[in-house]
Amino acid sequence: MEVVDARVALAPAISLLCGALVFAAADNTFWRRFWSVSAALAKLGIVMSMLPGSLRGVVYTFDLVEFTPGVGLAFRADALGMFFSVVSSTLWLFTTVYAIGYMEREPNRRRFFGFFALCVSTTVGVAFAENLLTMFLFYETLTICTYPLVIHDETPEAMRAGRTYLVYTLTGGAFVLLGSIWTYQLAGTMTLSQPGILSMEAGRTTLTALFVCLIAGFGVKAAIMPLHGWLPTAMVAPTPVSALLHAVAVVKVGAFGVLRTIYNVFGVELLRELGVCDWLAALAAVTIVTASIIAIFQDNFKRRLAFSTISQLSYIVLGAALLSPLAATAAIVHIANQAFAKITMFFVAGSIQRTTGKTTIHELAGIGYRMPYTMGAFTVAALSFIGIPLFAGFVTKWYLSLGALESDRWIYALVMLGSALLNAAYWLPIVYTAFFKAPHEEVVVQEAHWTMLGPTLACAAYVLLLGMTVSVPGMPFALAQAAVTFVFGM
Amino acid sequence: MTSWPPLLVLFVLTPLVGAVLTPAVSDASGRRSWEWALGTMLLTSAMAGALIMRVLDEGPFSYVVGGWVAPYGIELRFDEFSAFVAVVCLLGLLAVIFSRHYARDALAPGRIPYYYTLLLLNMTGMIGFIVTGDLFNLYVFMEILSLSAYALVAISGEKTAEMAAFKYLVMGAVSSLSILFGVGLLYALTGSLNMADVTGRLAGSAEAPLVLAFAALTLGFMVKSALFPLHIWLPDAHAIAPSPVSAVLSGLVVKVGILGMLRVYQIAYGSGAIDLSGLNLMLTWLGAISIVMGAFFAVFQDDIKMMLAYSTISNIGYIVMGLGLASPYSLIGASVHVFNHALIKATLFLGAGALIHQTGRRTLTGLAGVGRSMPLTTAAVSIGAISIVGIPPTAGFLCKWYIALGAMQAGEPLFAVALVFGALLIFVYYIRMVNAFYFRKPQEAGAPAVHEAPATMLVPVLILAALCLVMGVLGRLPLSFIEPAVTRLLAPLGGG
Repeated sequence: MEVVDARVALAPAISLLCGALVFAAADNTFWRRFWSVSAALAKLGIVMSMLPGSLRGVVYTFDLVEFTPGVGLAFRADALGMFFSVVSSTLWLFTTVYAIGYMEREPNRRRFFGFFALCVSTTVGVAFAENLLTMFLFYETLTICTYPLVIHDETPEAMRAGRTYLVYTLTGGAFVLLGSIWTYQLAGTMTLSQPGILSMEAGRTTLTALFVCLIAGFGVKAAIMPLHGWLPTAMVAPTPVSALLHAVAVVKVGAFGVLRTIYNVFGVELLRELGVCDWLAALAAVTIVTASIIAIFQDNFKRRLAFSTISQLSYIVLGAALLSPLAATAAIVHIANQAFAKITMFFVAGSIQRTTGKTTIHELAGIGYRMPYTMGAFTVAALSFIGIPLFAGFVTKWYLSLGALESDRWIYALVMLGSALLNAAYWLPIVYTAFFKAPHEEVVVQEAHWTMLGPTLACAAYVLLLGMTVSVPGMPFALAQAAVTFVFGM
Repeated sequence: MTSWPPLLVLFVLTPLVGAVLTPAVSDASGRRSWEWALGTMLLTSAMAGALIMRVLDEGPFSYVVGGWVAPYGIELRFDEFSAFVAVVCLLGLLAVIFSRHYARDALAPGRIPYYYTLLLLNMTGMIGFIVTGDLFNLYVFMEILSLSAYALVAISGEKTAEMAAFKYLVMGAVSSLSILFGVGLLYALTGSLNMADVTGRLAGSAEAPLVLAFAALTLGFMVKSALFPLHIWLPDAHAIAPSPVSAVLSGLVVKVGILGMLRVYQIAYGSGAIDLSGLNLMLTWLGAISIVMGAFFAVFQDDIKMMLAYSTISNIGYIVMGLGLASPYSLIGASVHVFNHALIKATLFLGAGALIHQTGRRTLTGLAGVGRSMPLTTAAVSIGAISIVGIPPTAGFLCKWYIALGAMQAGEPLFAVALVFGALLIFVYYIRMVNAFYFRKPQEAGAPAVHEAPATMLVPVLILAALCLVMGVLGRLPLSFIEPAVTRLLAPLGGG
């Protein structure tokens, strides 16, 4: 059932307004914090108020402006979009609180929090985009809004990373735009409300080229190898930004775009006939394994996290590319699972850096005694990535492996297994170093400020909840299943 | 009133008479000449409104001066493409309003009446060029337009301005000659100068002189519109001229070349006497190269008006590419971009003019942090920047979207690629500009406090910025307005 409801447009709009108010607050700390938290809360409130209806199967739509028939800006909150927006708006609240603590003494906080709030707006805009054009608009705006965050320190290294980031993501955006124009030319519409709008009539070569165009465009942000180059260099940004880039906004927007391309632009049936998804699945599998192997050799904490992100994102891509309902479920729920676990890790890395100044892994000996809660949260996230039952990551691996078997591609089940081992190989040494190696200095329990510790623990708790109950309040597994039912026409 | 025939003639004569009389009514301060020019432009704009109402009602119409029919008499024609006069009058009006304080500060008092005379003459040339139905008059009006433009570039009397005007004059004179040659050849072939008449008589003409005629016309018009590689006169002329003049030059005067090309196409397609596919291919390529080269040069500019001037070259590239692709979508997109680019570029040049007038600086480095002291002007310029990149929901979006769709429609997706990546480059340098306004710290401490420009400068900029948004949201209207003209243009080709 479709209902016209302004809330779908209000969700991005309200954080946009709050972002503007943060800029207006200038150097007043209270109002800046007030509007930053308000932006996150207001958006979460609006999204959550739509959740009960969404779970009943209601789809909220709102047409903002139509330029010519079929070309316009419109919003639509279907199951997949709701799932993504619930995840991102929940995490946003945590990240905002964390950022307030982390950025306490940094310069340029007005710019930082202003753009931080604008990013919320754009991410929800992508989640609720009814058509490719709206999606493209927010996809590009997100790039622009995250750039000032990446270069926040304004060191030569940060500026260089910022330039790399822009070159990669803007080029990707151009491909998305090109793909959108092309889709419109072939299908006469750009809507994302159908399970596929293209048909075989367009010809095999054209469709393949279009697929490559769109996937390459979204794949830049989803960091599919070899388009991942920007991600590790962008690590120079302040930690809340890395958390944002890596867990919530930028990379997930890319992965979400890949899902939309596969399920709503092309459609499962057409892609089965076209056969291009086999290549995408292979590419994703290669990314999963290669990035994990590179991660093992990183000593810088945040760089190891970065390569892990690259590897984990390709789970989503792989799940989507297998074109089986079970794997699709895995792909969608992994948006949440990876997000909560990875953001926990980034919060931990940031807390350690702020509290002790340590940024490399070999320095972390005995840190578990000094920051027990923080490292406890880290252990939870690590176990989730390895895929131990009861932790969120297990759910993904289980469904993805089932999906691989369902579509007769057992090799990808093996990839899952291998990836679990590789994850163990690069996460467990950190846990070991933290808890079982003798500390270099005298041990005093010294946790980070509550604004940083609180969000860390909350996210770790979510990781456990997601693994144990599958359906946590506010993290509805049912939405993922509804989305799968829709796109597979079951 | 709207269908009163001689209105079309009065429409051309009003700014001409106004121009000639300006020095006569002027006083020492130049105030009276401003009022006179303003009144003239208001009257002319009202007439433009009436004429457009009529073309909306009954489609294209013409007026035969003195009742002498073609090929002997002079005919004035008004069709959908002629609706460009609406933008001409609007920009002319706003440029005059803007000039009130600007001219007083930038020009010697003795030159102010002549400045308005030239501006009104420029308008006359433009309006005449657009509504004439006669090839020789087309040339005459183009010369009125060009000569006044050369003089306007040089009006500040500075050495650099004179050099820029001279460069513009040399290129302009060659192109005018080329156009005159083309017109002459067509006259020799058909014995007529009336466009509709020429179209009818061309069939069966010898091919070689026909090709030569169209080549000469195209070459001339391409210089006028600064298509790469014939663009070298433009950046200096547009950057050095007083800002209201830059707005008129970049927004309107370069479009004369484009409108001229549309007239050439109307003759060529209508007569069916010549196959233009080779020419179209060349124009498409040159358009694509212009987009990329213009953007590429602009990225390296620090002078804000230089940047805008190079941006004009890119945008002319878009329009020419749309013409060359010759598919319905691309032609609609290109024709509407002629209108929209005029609005957008005027926003940018007038906005930049206000910034330069208030701060005394014209480089991005010098203008760093100006967003804090002049928030309204910088907001308007930013809207212009977003529009010219083509980000929805602003005016630049739909035209570029249509041109890209047209490339797909013509089976040339590679040109859509050029368009999109050109837009990306353009995006990069406008981001640099907006970044300088808002996020870079002012260069020197203790610079004199700067505040918003006077209302006569601020209000035109704000009106134009608002139009950039309105034309984006209501983008469908100009598209459906121009569509019948494009359909008629392409009809002789069949299919379309």
